[in-house]
Amino acid sequence: MAHAGTLEIRQLSKQYRVKGSTLPVLDNISLSIRPGEFISIVGSSGCGKSTLLRLVIGLENEYQGEILLDGKRIVGTSLERGIVFQEHRLFPWLTVAQNVSLGLLNAGLPEAAKARSVQEHIELVGLKGFESAYPYQLSGGMSQRVAIARALVNRPEVLLLDEPFGALDALTRNHLQQELQRIWEQEGITAILVTHDVDEAVYLGDRVVIMEPRPGRIKRIVDVDLPRPRDRGSFAFAGIKDDVLAEFSDQPPARLVQPAPPSGFADWQFSW
Amino acid sequence: MNTHAAALPAQEQAQGQTRPTRRLRWNRQALTRFALSWPFPLALLLLWTLAAEFEWLPPQILPPPSMVLATFLDLVRSGELADNLWISLWRVLVGFAIGAAAGLVLGIAMGLSPRVRDYLYPSFRLVAQVPSVGWLPLLMMLVGIGEALKIILIAKAAGMPIALNTYKGLEGVPTRFIEVARVYGFTRWQLLRRVVLPAALPQIWNGIRYGLTHAWLALVAVELLASSEGLGFLIVYGRQLYQLDVVMAAVVVVGAFGYALDKLLAVIETRLLRWRRDAF
Amino acid sequence: MTIFMNADERRRLVRGATLPALLLAWWWAMFHFHWTDTVMFVPIDKVWETAMRMSGSGQLWLSLGASLARDLAGFTLGSLAGLAAGTALGLSRLLESLVGPTLHTVKQISLFAWIPLISVWFGLGDTAKVVFLSLAAFFPVLLNTFEGIRGVPRELVEVARAFAFTRTQMLRRVVLPAALPSIFTGVHLALIYAWLATLGAEYLLTSGIGIGNLLTDGREHLWMDQVLLGVAVVGLVGFTLNLVAGALERRLLRWRGPSAGQY
Repeated sequence: MAHAGTLEIRQLSKQYRVKGSTLPVLDNISLSIRPGEFISIVGSSGCGKSTLLRLVIGLENEYQGEILLDGKRIVGTSLERGIVFQEHRLFPWLTVAQNVSLGLLNAGLPEAAKARSVQEHIELVGLKGFESAYPYQLSGGMSQRVAIARALVNRPEVLLLDEPFGALDALTRNHLQQELQRIWEQEGITAILVTHDVDEAVYLGDRVVIMEPRPGRIKRIVDVDLPRPRDRGSFAFAGIKDDVLAEFSDQPPARLVQPAPPSGFADWQFSW
Repeated sequence: MNTHAAALPAQEQAQGQTRPTRRLRWNRQALTRFALSWPFPLALLLLWTLAAEFEWLPPQILPPPSMVLATFLDLVRSGELADNLWISLWRVLVGFAIGAAAGLVLGIAMGLSPRVRDYLYPSFRLVAQVPSVGWLPLLMMLVGIGEALKIILIAKAAGMPIALNTYKGLEGVPTRFIEVARVYGFTRWQLLRRVVLPAALPQIWNGIRYGLTHAWLALVAVELLASSEGLGFLIVYGRQLYQLDVVMAAVVVVGAFGYALDKLLAVIETRLLRWRRDAF
Repeated sequence: MTIFMNADERRRLVRGATLPALLLAWWWAMFHFHWTDTVMFVPIDKVWETAMRMSGSGQLWLSLGASLARDLAGFTLGSLAGLAAGTALGLSRLLESLVGPTLHTVKQISLFAWIPLISVWFGLGDTAKVVFLSLAAFFPVLLNTFEGIRGVPRELVEVARAFAFTRTQMLRRVVLPAALPSIFTGVHLALIYAWLATLGAEYLLTSGIGIGNLLTDGREHLWMDQVLLGVAVVGLVGFTLNLVAGALERRLLRWRGPSAGQY
């Protein structure tokens, strides 16, 4: 079981300087993430959600405000924060097992422990038997699963996912969402998912953070208080999904009416 | 239950700001690069001048840059440079033209006709195993050391890469384009003109550029060995008399014109292949 | 033999062999029917005879060995220098701005034009030849290494940063492997150029022994058989070098699979 981290983002702001003018990307983002929580962030293109992730992972470093992991300010990249990108970004010259073990390169563990962890995580993502395959031999979904294994192998406290299933076909996407859900529950770590797919956000998240663009700001946070694994077809699910979607359209949401359950014989009369 | 993800509407990006600033940035970048490119060669030049000045090496081995420049101007004024340059250029251009024509014909024949390819490609590859320089002594025995030798060698040197690249380019036209043409009922001629040749053009042009480089290579080699005029001869002549200033002046001209011709081809390439979006 | 090939391959083999067979037949006929008198036309068996003679006396092997030794020496030196320079220039934009344009200009000078200068500075012997060969190998490796390093996908570098790779780890485990296909193209080109430079150097820097010297010798004495033998040897060496390079490339770049390009 990995130790789940507590992430605090306080008044985070970021601008890009484009020769002369300043382009604000994020404006006063504040978010408290409890250990073991799954946060989904949704927003359309340009709302800075990917930038937010890159700041948390430490690939970008200039910002105002604070990002705290377990109470300590984050500095650059570290093995305590893992990330899965939209492209699998596997090293084509390494096998699956070698790619996954990249995450442990600087972990300071004895070789035997490393090998064991690598094997465990390959099985965790359901790719047992593919340890010696090269990326060119894998499908998109399989490659992305390797990327997930690689991000988890050093047991980070926080897992960041930047539109991880965006490049995959709908069927694979669906399947991997279920897989991610299972893996997250098993590992028990904190996770932050960035996506433009509302369905995915509601399916996976404990809370859905809705962001609006230019500059990126948190518009609203919606709680998803449904038992897992979630039923995409349920009325409650649809309700939350519509609620989130409504934030992005100009029209008022269609009011879903749940029909009252039949009570007397008369109600059943014409049920065929 | 539909599995289509409820995606959010994408919003247009603001365009206005980036355009003028980008052009400005390009200019400043180019200027910086230009400025930075000078210190190193100037430092070398300084070192060279000092070395010649203090005679760290005898002047026959290292003439001062001033002398090289003076000799260069002399050669220009006396017309000697122009004469030799013209001869070399004529040889390269004629040889290249013949080689390119032959190479293109051969390459197209092999690329378009599997039968021709079956008959000719193995022999072609056999000949290609020996670099042009390797054929030189044999050619000298067969045709002597006159103009014919030079033109033949240059033509061969140019023709081989052109033929090979043309053949490979035509062979490598993606089948998916050809399939589209078939679906729309293109005639053979239309297929050739509108699909195959444009698709193969980048590689064919690549071959042409290689051909020119090899033509220059062959020219210099043959003029160094078996010529009584031309830039190569000038180099040998200067070398025999230990007049390194002449040698250097001629070498610079060889470099300059080699570069100029290649640049010409590159410019033509950008116009012909305007549709290609290169990453850099 | 024919059971290993299907009808298609057999037909292609027959067609491919037609031209060389005709050539050989014509050659044989020329001599057999005395269609010509010049000393140029030596019968095929004479070439074979000369080959056996020179092989037996050791002259052939000594010359070949000398050429190959020089070729290898120059190729290795030039390639290593090109690799180092290409890596340095690829990693540092500043260095590339300072030194790049000069190197690019010097590269324009056609290879053989350097020989007379080299002959003055280094003489006519082995040193001069190896210097020249190093020069021949240097530029292709430099350029392709540079391109390879510049072309490392940023996406992979970011993964390495996310895993807190040190600079050495980044270079050794990300940059160089990613650049390897390009580097290999450069090395392959260098191999080709070094071999043809070996020949050219032996024609022009005449002291010493080598295949090029055999060719020059044969030409001067009008020994067609020796010249033809030389040409055949040159071709065989070129062919072998290409074969080895190709095999090496396939082995080292096994991870590319049938089509390259996605990360």
